[in-house]
Amino acid sequence: MPIRVCDLLSIEKVNTTIPMKKQFIVAFIALISFTTPFITRAQTAEKQATIKVSGEVTTPLTIDAAYLQKFTPTTVVRKDRDGNDHTYTGVTVAEILKSAGVTLGPELKGENLTKYLAVEASDGYQVIFALAELDKAFTDRAIILATTVDGKSLAPGDGPYRIIVQDEKKPARCIKQVTAMSVHFIK
Amino acid sequence: MLKRTRQYKPLKKLPVGKGRIVLVLLFFAVALSGWGYLSNGVETGTYNLAYPANFGNRINIPADNPTTKQGVYLGRMLFYEPKLSATNTVSCANCHKQEKAFTDGLPFSKGIDEVLTTRSSMSLANLLWARKFFWDGRATGLEVQAMVPLTNPHEMGQSLEISAKKLSKAPGYPALFKLVYGDKKITGDRIVKAISQFERTLISSNSRYDKYLNNTYKPTAEEMDGMLLFNSDPQPEIGIRGANCAHCHGGVKNYMELFHNNGLDSIPKDAGIAEFTGLATDEGRFKVPTLRNIALTAPYMHDGRFKTLDEVLDHYSEHIQESAGLSTFLRNESNEPGGTSLKLEYYEKKEIIAFLNMLTDSTFITDPAFADPRLRPAQHRKS
Repeated sequence: MPIRVCDLLSIEKVNTTIPMKKQFIVAFIALISFTTPFITRAQTAEKQATIKVSGEVTTPLTIDAAYLQKFTPTTVVRKDRDGNDHTYTGVTVAEILKSAGVTLGPELKGENLTKYLAVEASDGYQVIFALAELDKAFTDRAIILATTVDGKSLAPGDGPYRIIVQDEKKPARCIKQVTAMSVHFIK
Repeated sequence: MLKRTRQYKPLKKLPVGKGRIVLVLLFFAVALSGWGYLSNGVETGTYNLAYPANFGNRINIPADNPTTKQGVYLGRMLFYEPKLSATNTVSCANCHKQEKAFTDGLPFSKGIDEVLTTRSSMSLANLLWARKFFWDGRATGLEVQAMVPLTNPHEMGQSLEISAKKLSKAPGYPALFKLVYGDKKITGDRIVKAISQFERTLISSNSRYDKYLNNTYKPTAEEMDGMLLFNSDPQPEIGIRGANCAHCHGGVKNYMELFHNNGLDSIPKDAGIAEFTGLATDEGRFKVPTLRNIALTAPYMHDGRFKTLDEVLDHYSEHIQESAGLSTFLRNESNEPGGTSLKLEYYEKKEIIAFLNMLTDSTFITDPAFADPRLRPAQHRKS
């Protein structure tokens, strides 16, 4: 960055003899090249996290906050590490997977029961769920992709997307900062 | 000197027939030296990657690069081969020295010129289980990883095409490539594949910690206390002290392939994985490196800022810097009620360091099978 500032200054000094119009253009170009990195930097900082849905799906998806709007919100109350109940709101994972064409519902039988969902976080942490764990026909236990806790957005270190497993005693599968979900057959 | 010059000069004027003889003789000399390598007998066949059962079988070998004894031997030759650099002076081993668990003891490394690398050289141990390589995990396989330092203009600075050409003219190599790949063709792809095969064999599984897990070593009281702190979450409310290390460094391999911001800077100079994800929460996030042989791999962190393990422990205990990307494992974890950093006692740090020294594998750093095959007797040659 400092080099560019110097460039700008030296251009102005050197170009004192060239016509005013040309000098203006040069200065303008220098100014653009000087500010561009700031503009791009601002854009990068505002970039939003997404979740890639892939594997044994008919439609691979890239999910963002807008995409999740089309589903009915579901709420799960779960004790956190502090020992207090917290209300998480989000979308049932099964609904998201159904929109990607994963074999849930009536199709979840036979060899499809050997499929699992792998969820990955931005730090590389991974956990898995058998598809049957996610399906309402198998269990009433809700597994959701939460976006809010007690009415507020998840903390940056937890969100923007976190899996919340209803009634599961250990929080290890309540994976934070989810970046990818992929469905696979066992090998 | 003058006499010799006079003797050689007439050679240029030799009739065509004699020139051919010289060529044929040269050919035989090259062929003979190549045959020399083979006559020593490079063992062939599937390489047996031996490791303890508790390391697990989630290993990472691409289907198009199975590990063979001859491939590992070639890879080992190439790992120590300075011809793979533009100046013929730098090999992989310059920055990955066996005695330092395949690191170089420097914060940043020098390659073929004066420009230093931007991050510290990483240890090469138990890569067989790794899926993401480099401090930012951008390479998804060893084959892709190996290409980078080979061709980086400041590290080894030579295109794979030129490396392949140079090796084609180097005695021994065409024959070795034939032994590994079925024909003498030398390509960049074949070079990185062989190097990767060798790197997958760098298994460290004979530390005192391994022996402890195997019930063949009884740790000292200090090591035991250190291990307990290492594996415990601090819970000052109920009187449990801990250093919370195992969240990221736990498991039998002391490696979990995670990427975290460990509070080095409030504004990271190096963006880490945010460089390609563009997310504020990824700023200053780097690979959590293996703690295998950690006592041998100073200086520490991606930029080698800490010279000793004492400095590392002081950092985690007292100097965690807040930022958007700071790992949740390092937030508000303390041995003091309501504290924001670990606050370990002096003796507790010493205990943890005693445990960390249990992770040193002296077999790994002296195994002749991992050393330069030109200097020591090769283990994978027939006796």
